[in-house]
Amino acid sequence: MTSMTSTSSSPWHFFGYFLDHRSQDLSWLWTHAWLSVVPVIIGLLIALPLGWLSRRYGWLYPPMVSITGLLYTIPSIALFVLVPPLLGLSSLNPVQVPIALTVYSVALLVRVVADGLASVPDEVNQAATAIGYGGVRRLFAVELPIAVPVIAAGLRVATVSNVSMVAIAGTIGMSNLGQLFQLGKDLSTPTAYYPPIVLGIVLCVLLALVLDGLIILLTRVLTPWRRAVPSR
Amino acid sequence: MKHKFLIAGATAAALALTLSACGSSSSTSGSGGGTIASKLIMGGPPEFKTRVDGLPGLAKNYGVSFGKYTVTDTGGPVTVNALKNGQVDAADLFTTDPSIAANGFVILTDPKANFAAQNILPIINKAKATAGVTSTLNALSAKLDTAGLGALMVKVVTDKQDTDAVAKGWLSDQGLATTGTAASGVKLTIGSANFPENALLAQIYGEALKDQGATIKYKLNIGSREKYVPALKDGTVDLMPEYNGSILQYLDPHASATAPDAVLAALQKVLPSNLIVLNQSSAADSDAIVVTKATAAKYHLTSIADLAKK
Repeated sequence: MTSMTSTSSSPWHFFGYFLDHRSQDLSWLWTHAWLSVVPVIIGLLIALPLGWLSRRYGWLYPPMVSITGLLYTIPSIALFVLVPPLLGLSSLNPVQVPIALTVYSVALLVRVVADGLASVPDEVNQAATAIGYGGVRRLFAVELPIAVPVIAAGLRVATVSNVSMVAIAGTIGMSNLGQLFQLGKDLSTPTAYYPPIVLGIVLCVLLALVLDGLIILLTRVLTPWRRAVPSR
Repeated sequence: MKHKFLIAGATAAALALTLSACGSSSSTSGSGGGTIASKLIMGGPPEFKTRVDGLPGLAKNYGVSFGKYTVTDTGGPVTVNALKNGQVDAADLFTTDPSIAANGFVILTDPKANFAAQNILPIINKAKATAGVTSTLNALSAKLDTAGLGALMVKVVTDKQDTDAVAKGWLSDQGLATTGTAASGVKLTIGSANFPENALLAQIYGEALKDQGATIKYKLNIGSREKYVPALKDGTVDLMPEYNGSILQYLDPHASATAPDAVLAALQKVLPSNLIVLNQSSAADSDAIVVTKATAAKYHLTSIADLAKK
């Protein structure tokens, strides 16, 4: 780090600010990235069986989707504060953030999985059964692959919303891009100090775009038949 | 579609709750009976309303009760701007805050010592307080004073210099940046609360100990005491810069000591068993009631006691 940093408070100085604090900012970006992705993966693993159950037993769908959806209304700062004492974690244990964010991912994804499975045409399921696919094998070999586009759409929403929610954990000392907002606020005397705040927004948006692009790419790889018949 | 309404309803309810909570954040605080204070709006952190040296202390020591109390933040930009823009007439700020001088604010004197001493001192895990670590930190605490700290805060807050560079600069200016082996072999995790001055102090401690051969890991901007005191107790963090009055108040909400040495003595008695404090510096960053120059002139205010006049 240089000792003589330029001190412009202009919002456009964010790039200069980034250059002056590159290693710090990149390490925050990296933790921010994994804090955004891991909860979605764990959330999907939890949402898959719950979503399947709500699809399999129709009467479960309304309560399951309402209750998991309600989880989304818990304020994230409250969850970040509540998780460590509830689970007996040390107050600075870094896993508290992914745990809290997993709750939100589950909230978004249960419904998506159930709707995705519902999007599989009945004829397809019947045909699969007719040629000998039963139960679990039909689920993994036929239903889930066909549901991928719907589930992927939900994953995109969950991932992007996680990117913004992780930043809130910056205010309770977790090192991620949220610290840039805290820093910008702290240094906003006597006048507003924009560079770290704008940099935080820019990096969050870039991260969200990259993760979103990755999911789109993954969806294409997983559903090669969609490209074989482009016009439906 | 029923579930959709359920979610929408819950969201609306949560929103309404949040809004009503915001609305109640400012409240009137009892009778002022035509005093100057009764015409003024006071701004500060939420806990100032109930803290021993907050509104209750002002009422008890000076008979001052404000017309209204508005929650802002803990001596941060929200409070400064609220005072500057006239949304509050008086505010709880910290004495080393460079924005007090930058805005020409007036600090009201506290002749009855309502506010406790807030001398800066290291709080450290006993197991890590080796003789070398202790002597290194004591040497720098001996050189740290309020004016010097205020000058460093101007560099950080006004000039936007990085706290680590300011910390290193101060150590070399003070002749403390000498390399040695006093702390070699000691591994320390140094934490800080989430405001610039505390992060700066943590880095002053850390860089001095690094020079003496210690292995330092930083966990800066942890948050409030509710978050970092448990971390000190369970050993996740080994060393933090603290303010003797505030940490005493946190550990013993009924503490009444206000003079620096009395505060230190009281603090020694209530520290968790795995923690000790080292020598305190003369640098202090205490709460102060601050008003704008115009308000001070209008009501002839120099001391907190003046607020109780009619």
